[in-house]
Amino acid sequence: MYGRRASQLLRELACSETGQLTAFNSDAFDQVIKECNEHNLQLQSLIRKIEDENLDIQTTRNEDHFGAVIHHLSLIRNKRCLMAYMYNRAETIQSLRWKVGPVLPQEIQEKLNYSEEECFKNHSAAIQSYMSELDLDLTVDMVPPKDPYIRVRVLDDIGEVCLGDHSISLTKHSLHFLRRTDAEPFISQGMMEEFLE
Amino acid sequence: MASGSGSGSERWSEDLETEVAMAMGTTDVELLKRAWRNEKAAPEILQFEAALVLRAREQIQLLEETVEEFTENGVDDLVVSLYQMDLDRSLFLLRSYLRIRLQKIEKYMIHISKTNLWNRLSEQEQRFAKSRCTDIMEKHLEQSVLSRLPYGYQSILKQSISSEEDDMVPEPQLDTFVFCKTKHAVGAFQLDDTGDEIVDLVADDLYVLRYKSIRGLVESGRIDLV
Repeated sequence: MYGRRASQLLRELACSETGQLTAFNSDAFDQVIKECNEHNLQLQSLIRKIEDENLDIQTTRNEDHFGAVIHHLSLIRNKRCLMAYMYNRAETIQSLRWKVGPVLPQEIQEKLNYSEEECFKNHSAAIQSYMSELDLDLTVDMVPPKDPYIRVRVLDDIGEVCLGDHSISLTKHSLHFLRRTDAEPFISQGMMEEFLE
Repeated sequence: MASGSGSGSERWSEDLETEVAMAMGTTDVELLKRAWRNEKAAPEILQFEAALVLRAREQIQLLEETVEEFTENGVDDLVVSLYQMDLDRSLFLLRSYLRIRLQKIEKYMIHISKTNLWNRLSEQEQRFAKSRCTDIMEKHLEQSVLSRLPYGYQSILKQSISSEEDDMVPEPQLDTFVFCKTKHAVGAFQLDDTGDEIVDLVADDLYVLRYKSIRGLVESGRIDLV
């Protein structure tokens, strides 16, 4: 059936949780692209056939015309599905900039295709230059603040870090009482967690 | 935002002023909170509050200096942390406000750049939208989808060459319902073009209405979104 593969691509998108990313399905994607080009070949040959019979392409309503319309509409549908697939993935990828930071962990990067990786990097740079124009870091303070300080537990050996005017050593499993804005970048990268008693 | 400088009588009058302003709900923090709430709830992008953002940033800087000064002079930790909390909240409001706008721009960049919504963006936002965001997304879709499609179907704006208008551009859903709160009585207000639905908007009341119908009231600041 025309257009089924493309809709499967979208179903894949709809089935995953919001904000979650599945691996880029390049097999299905390439097949849909191939389908598009086949539709186009059929469409062109039908149009040629109408023209060869010396009929007016604008007003003819024979079986060839309707065949051509079906190919045209299938092609458009496929295009919409492909674009929706790419666009929605790109949106999720761009939202990662806010959640994870400018560098994506390996397991996410494996799920992207080349163009998506590039898109993420460029988008990340765009946000960066907007922030430096404003001289304000927008990636911290993602949730409304309750207390200026939070208690955190270090999950990874981070080492000596300079925070404000003093430096502290963040060794694995150690507990610290830090300023929320200082701790947030570490938390979003999974190197720290908020310690709740 | 409480101001930390000044002393004696000067300080008194300043405090009084802030208190009066607070009672009327018109301190800059209140205004920023309102702008933030409106921006958060509205489906489309609203006018950038340039002057307000500038004032808020100035005040935040002042507060930062105050906190620093207090820490150096060994003022009571409790007082410092109260100021710090005030500062953090204002900073959060400002950052979140700018962030929500960026996310709207990312989502509707093509729509925004084609309509007069463009003028609602700040200078930096315009630069972000035009030369960065739109180009990045266009390039991405171009190289992964559009360039591989047959001729006539390669436009990012149109479904095919036979479409008369741009029918591939995401637009905000203006029909959506929003919660809103009136400040002053607006009186009988017509919700649709035909005049079949009229609602009497009294002061200080909550309503759930279509965004489209109260758009004008939001823009003129006569109603707040919540």
